[in-house]
Amino acid sequence: MNEEYLWDKSGEPDPEIQQLEQILGTLRYQPKSLELPNDIQPVRRNRYLPLLAIAATVLVALLAGILWFSLQNRHKNQPQQVFLPPQPSVTPTPPSPDIENKEKLVRSPTPNRHRELVAHNSSRRTRSVPATPSKEALLVKEQLMTALRLASEKLNLAQRKAQGPTPNQIRNQHKVG
Amino acid sequence: MKSLFQRLPRTPLLVALLVIAPAITARAQDPKIQLAHLDRLAAKANETVDVNIDERLIQLTIKLFDDKDEDEAKIKKLVQGLKGIYVKNFEFDNDNEYSTADVDSIRSQLREPSWTRLLNVTSKREGNVEVYLSMSGSQINGLAVISAEPRELTVVNLVGPVDLEKLSKLEGNLGIPDLGVGPVKSKTKNEQ
Repeated sequence: MNEEYLWDKSGEPDPEIQQLEQILGTLRYQPKSLELPNDIQPVRRNRYLPLLAIAATVLVALLAGILWFSLQNRHKNQPQQVFLPPQPSVTPTPPSPDIENKEKLVRSPTPNRHRELVAHNSSRRTRSVPATPSKEALLVKEQLMTALRLASEKLNLAQRKAQGPTPNQIRNQHKVG
Repeated sequence: MKSLFQRLPRTPLLVALLVIAPAITARAQDPKIQLAHLDRLAAKANETVDVNIDERLIQLTIKLFDDKDEDEAKIKKLVQGLKGIYVKNFEFDNDNEYSTADVDSIRSQLREPSWTRLLNVTSKREGNVEVYLSMSGSQINGLAVISAEPRELTVVNLVGPVDLEKLSKLEGNLGIPDLGVGPVKSKTKNEQ
């Protein structure tokens, strides 16, 4: 076998190699355009699809953010609704020592998360909480006093009727007489 | 296979009784009197006082009492143990605007074993006054006063531990007149 012919086709040709060249030569590259069958049509990709996907992702992220913020706000508002109405400090009545102590408790920084939240809301308290509950409480106090007055009056009446004239009245009668 | 209820037809009845009976018993021992039926008298009355203060409102109101004020502190001590204060007072322009049935409906509620009539003063001219106490063991857990005068009907119901001694100490405080409840108690016991 002539290696030079095999290497760069120089020198004397080798018949075996020539035969192989003829056999394999039919399979060599032939520069011609690709012809597709008529029944196959290429699918055209929508070029807006990636943009739509990006927009959808941003939208979902926005919605998740809004939902998270609303939940956070609701959670922050909860202590105000739960703890503020019974707070006596809201009422315009003169503060008692008990109330002052409670206010100190609320204002003091504590590791308790509940109390921190209440302390947060104390700034809003002056703006958002109306004076209506205190009016109701005062009305109830007035009713309570009326009820006690009536109860004591009727007990007193029962006593007077059961005992007849009181010893004081009898004593006074003696003095007058 | 037959279920337990099919085998024992009386079982549901027994279960129902076991559930309902304690509720009925608890209600019977409740020193709160039903006064709603008296509301219709408000239309005839010249002046009406209707006070309904439950435990929640009492607790809310207690905070308004000033501990520094001696009088208010006394009232606070009296009230803070109570579970309800219910008062109905009707003042009429004419006699006999309310019926005896109205008063009897309240008396019938006070015939429960837990209630004891402490005092009953009857006067044809001035009307009747009755004082009832509800006892739980040796402790007072309710007070009821019925004052049926010709032109005035008053029903007072205090629910909860009523300390008569503290009540008597309210004499003259905040416009509350001299009660003298202590002597009444001893006197009436002797009378009865």
